[in-house]
Amino acid sequence: MKKMMALGFEGSANKIGIGVVTLDGDILSNPRHTYITPPGQGFLPRETAQHHLQHVLPLVKEALKTAQVTPDDIDCLCYTKGPGMGAPLQVSAIVIRILSQLWKKPIVAVNHCVAHIEMGRIVTGADDPVVLYVSGGNTQVIAYSEGRYRIFGETIDIAIGNCLDRFARVLTLSNDPSPGYNIEQLAKKGEKFIDLPYVVKGMDVSFSGILSFIEATAEEKLKNNECTPADLCYSLQETLFAMLVEITERAMAHCDKNDILIVGGVGCNERLQEMMRVMCSERGGKLYATDDRYCIDNGAMIAYTGLLAYAHGTSTPLEESTFTQRFRTDEVHAIWREKEESKKANGTAE
Amino acid sequence: MAAQAKTPWEFSCDLEVDFESDEKASMVYAALAVDKELQPDKVKRNMSVSDGKLTVRFEAVEARFLRASFSSFVDVLTLATKTIEEFGGGMAL
Repeated sequence: MKKMMALGFEGSANKIGIGVVTLDGDILSNPRHTYITPPGQGFLPRETAQHHLQHVLPLVKEALKTAQVTPDDIDCLCYTKGPGMGAPLQVSAIVIRILSQLWKKPIVAVNHCVAHIEMGRIVTGADDPVVLYVSGGNTQVIAYSEGRYRIFGETIDIAIGNCLDRFARVLTLSNDPSPGYNIEQLAKKGEKFIDLPYVVKGMDVSFSGILSFIEATAEEKLKNNECTPADLCYSLQETLFAMLVEITERAMAHCDKNDILIVGGVGCNERLQEMMRVMCSERGGKLYATDDRYCIDNGAMIAYTGLLAYAHGTSTPLEESTFTQRFRTDEVHAIWREKEESKKANGTAE
Repeated sequence: MAAQAKTPWEFSCDLEVDFESDEKASMVYAALAVDKELQPDKVKRNMSVSDGKLTVRFEAVEARFLRASFSSFVDVLTLATKTIEEFGGGMAL
């Protein structure tokens, strides 16, 4: 029997990516292109959308060619409905609406956060972990319960990646391949720990005050030779990641789950993975993490998650193929997880 | 002159694109009609398809809203058209 296959479009932030994936998680192609701004600058919606406009169609061709498939082989077209920046999201939505009409294929709208989780699960084999989703736009501690991915803790202001990216701008670090990567490399050379505010509020975290603090003190401290940029990167990472470890551990205790899956762009940070691994092993659990191919936004994660939904009877009519800047993880009914759970409950031997 | 009801939609602009095909024009129409104007109290957009042409009329209360709406519309219209050009031919066979 022919395997079900999907083409997925991701363009909610500064990456535009297109992937071809089968239902059993085979990634046949997953090209992407990143909009990299000059040091000291972030990416703005309009310019980012222009970047996506330029690259989206060549990427579709590349994705099909690398996967060696034709539109006929594709069962459904998946796109990121949200959350993300409006104008960049629209690019994928427009292309998918046209392709759906040209190729007579159904559309599936996908939640970006849920896509990160499902990609992480299929790539690592993590079955039912507590998920730490950390990226430039999101910071959430998530666990599956009764049909939905529920948010147990999250940032109450900016995302951790946003905090790191903006600090990279203060130091005018390169945004290539990503500001977070360059902070991580510089942090390895840090020797002196600078005290920073530590802001955990119950199950939630807050980063904007820490950012303001370090922005305000960095210049002064560097000028007076009290510390190096490397010391600041090191101290910022240690503080932020410690906060994440704390709320993740509390979520694990609360949900009675021992494994952790880290997803999202900041999830490729090896220092974060190391800190999480220590906590996890102390609790007798396992840490699941992926590298930059799957952690960072990509088309395959959208294709795979859309295909899961499609295989369980979900699709999105053309007229409803909208995009939205706000779309919470727990709004999605993860129908495919319910089937997995009931299979587990019924299958006595398996 | 007293009866002159001054409409707030003072600024308007028409756009016509000839696809020479009702099918293509309708595809673009269907793709672009999904996204509503974000500030319907400031900009209105009306689209129609006939004789293979897509006709769009913009009306706005201020010139800057008209410009912003028109310019972002042209970007996505171009993308939709390019998508048809690049994928509507041989690959559909």
